[in-house]
Amino acid sequence: MEKEKIRIGVVGLGKMGLLHASILNFFPEVKLAALCDKSGLMVRLASKVFSRTGINVISDLEKLVDLDLDAVYVTTPISSHSFIARNIYKSGIARHLFVEKTLASTYAEADELCRLVPQESVNMVGYMKRFSVTFGKAKDLLSQGTFEEVSSFKAYAYSSDFMGDNKASRTSAARGGALRDLGCHVIDLALWFFGDFKVISVTNESAAGNSVSFRVRRSDGLEGEFDISQCKKDYRMPEIGLSMQGSKGTIEVNDDRVRLEESNKGKLATWYRHDLNDNVDFWLGETEYFREDQHFIKSILKHKNCEPSFLTASKVDFIIDQVRHTHGFEFK
Amino acid sequence: MNDQPMFLVGDNPFHGISHLSQERARARGKKAASPEEAAELVLTALQSGANGFTFSVSDLTLSILRFMRERRSGKLDLYAMVPYAFEYVRTATQTGTPGLAKRLARQVVMSGGPGAIAIGLKAAITMNPSDLLSTYLAYEISRVRSSAGREMNLVSLLLNEVVTDMALALNLDWLFESYVRFLSRRSIIPGFNTRNFPFFVRKFREWDMDTSHILVATPFNKAGFQMNPSKQECEKTLGDLPSSIVLAISILAAGYLQPTVAMEYLANLPNLKGMVAGVSTEQQARETFTRARASLYKKINR
Repeated sequence: MEKEKIRIGVVGLGKMGLLHASILNFFPEVKLAALCDKSGLMVRLASKVFSRTGINVISDLEKLVDLDLDAVYVTTPISSHSFIARNIYKSGIARHLFVEKTLASTYAEADELCRLVPQESVNMVGYMKRFSVTFGKAKDLLSQGTFEEVSSFKAYAYSSDFMGDNKASRTSAARGGALRDLGCHVIDLALWFFGDFKVISVTNESAAGNSVSFRVRRSDGLEGEFDISQCKKDYRMPEIGLSMQGSKGTIEVNDDRVRLEESNKGKLATWYRHDLNDNVDFWLGETEYFREDQHFIKSILKHKNCEPSFLTASKVDFIIDQVRHTHGFEFK
Repeated sequence: MNDQPMFLVGDNPFHGISHLSQERARARGKKAASPEEAAELVLTALQSGANGFTFSVSDLTLSILRFMRERRSGKLDLYAMVPYAFEYVRTATQTGTPGLAKRLARQVVMSGGPGAIAIGLKAAITMNPSDLLSTYLAYEISRVRSSAGREMNLVSLLLNEVVTDMALALNLDWLFESYVRFLSRRSIIPGFNTRNFPFFVRKFREWDMDTSHILVATPFNKAGFQMNPSKQECEKTLGDLPSSIVLAISILAAGYLQPTVAMEYLANLPNLKGMVAGVSTEQQARETFTRARASLYKKINR
C-alpha cells in the first residue's frame, strides 16, 4: 500500500523547503520520503527533529537515488537549481521534478533543463501566484473577453525587504536581485495573461539590482511597463499587481483583490479573496501554495503535463536575461 | 485566569497589518500608533470591557508593555504569541536560514544569566530539539516578563500558526508534547494559533493528547474567511469541543464584515470561550468592546 503513494524528496531545508514538505505530507497520496540539505548543521538538527517521522534526512544528493523516489522538489537558492535538477535527471533520482522559481540563473541553463526532461515526466516551476484566487479571477475575466482587446498594461512587484540595508542589498544581489527574487512572479503572470513579449527598453536600474523598470512589446504592438523594487517604502509584505487597459475598461489586480471598471457603463466591480472561495484543505503560508502542490500531485497521478512547466517558466528566465542584456545589466 | 469569557485586544493594527488588503495595511502603517499611543488604546479597550491583551512578542509590543506598566495599576492578563513570524521570515530572506539560526542562537544565549547560558549552550551542542524548544520558550517568556513587570500576568503563550500548522502536517507530536509540558509546569496555558482548526483537533486526538487544558486561537467569522477547510467543518469541530478554550480571531474577516454582523455570528456559536479584536482608534476601542460585552457576555460565559 505504501508503495502506491507518490514518494517525494525535498532538496533544500530553507523556509520554502519546509513549507512544501509540510503541505506535501498532508496529502494522503504522498509519502514524504526524504529531506536533503548540504548544510551539516541543518542535517544534524533535522535528523533529530524528524527522528520519529520515518522521513530520511540526508546531506548527499546522490544518496537520493537509493530511495526509489517518484518526484523531487528543489527549493535551494536559485544559483544551484540548474546543477541539482541536472543531477536528478542524469542520475535517475526521480522522473518528476518541481523547482522553486526561477527555474535557473540564466536562460541558457533553463533551456538546457528543458532539453533534459525525460519522456512522461511531470515538471513544474513554483510560480504560485497563478494559483491565487485574485489573479485566477483576472485571467478568467480576460479569457471571457470582458475586455475584447487589451491595449496596454502596467505591472509592479514591490517589497521593503532590502530598504536601507546595504549588507542585505548585497545578499539580494548575490541571489539574483529583485528580478529573480520578486519580479519573476509578475513577469510570469504577464506572460500567462498576454502571451509572449520582448523587452524593448530598460528605463531605470539600481547598481545593486534591487530596483529595475523596463518596457515590453508583444508582436501585435501591445505594450507593457514593469516596475520592480525590493527597497520600496511601506511594503511590509511583498506585493505584486497588474493593471490592464482594454477597449471596454480597466482591470486592476493584486494579491488581495480584482477590480473591474467598464468605461462605457461606468460600472465598477471588486472581488476580494473573501468573495472568491479562498479556502483550502490545508492552509500554510498562503492558500496558493496548497493549490500549487495539489496541482503537481494530481498531474503526476493523472500522468498529465502541468503548468507552469519548465518550458513555460524558461520564458521568464528569457525575459530576465533580456533585461540584463538590454543595458548591460549584470548581477555580480 | 478565571472562568470569565475572554475579550482580548489584539495587536495587528499596531504593526500595520491588514489581511483585507496591503493598500489598507500601508495606510494603517503610515498612521500607525506609536508604542505610547498603542498602550493608551489598549488601556481604553480594557476600560471598555476588554480583559486581556494578546500580541506577537516583538520589540514594538514589548515597548507597548513597558508603557502600560508605567500607566496602569492593577492586574492585566497577557496572551503572548511566539515566534513573531514576520521578523524571522524577513531575516531569513535577508540572510538565509543559517543566518537566521545564528542570529537567534546569539540572542537566546546572550539574553539570560549564567544558568540560562549554560542550558542554551548544552541544547545547542546536543541539538536535542526539546531542549532547544525549552531554551527558546524560556527566552521569550523572560522578554515578556521583564517588560511587563509583576502586575501583568502571562496567562498563555501561543505558538504562531505557521509553526503550529507546519508541525501538525509534519507529524511532530514531540513538539506539541514538549511545548505543553514545558508551559504547564510553569502554570502558563499552552496556546496554539491555527488556520486549520479541524485538522488540529484531529491530530491531537490521533496522538491521544488532551485538548481540554490548552487554548486554541483560530478564525471564526460569518464570511468563512481563513476557516479551513470550510466554515461548516470549523463550526462542527467547535461544537464537538465543550471543554476546550477556543478563542475566535479574524472575527471581522479583516474588516470585510460589520461589527454587529460579526458579533451576531459569534453569539450563536457553541463552546466559544472568547474573542480577539484589534483596534486603531479610541472610538473603535470603546465601541468594539462595549458591543462585544453586550452581545456576547451571556452567550459565551464559561
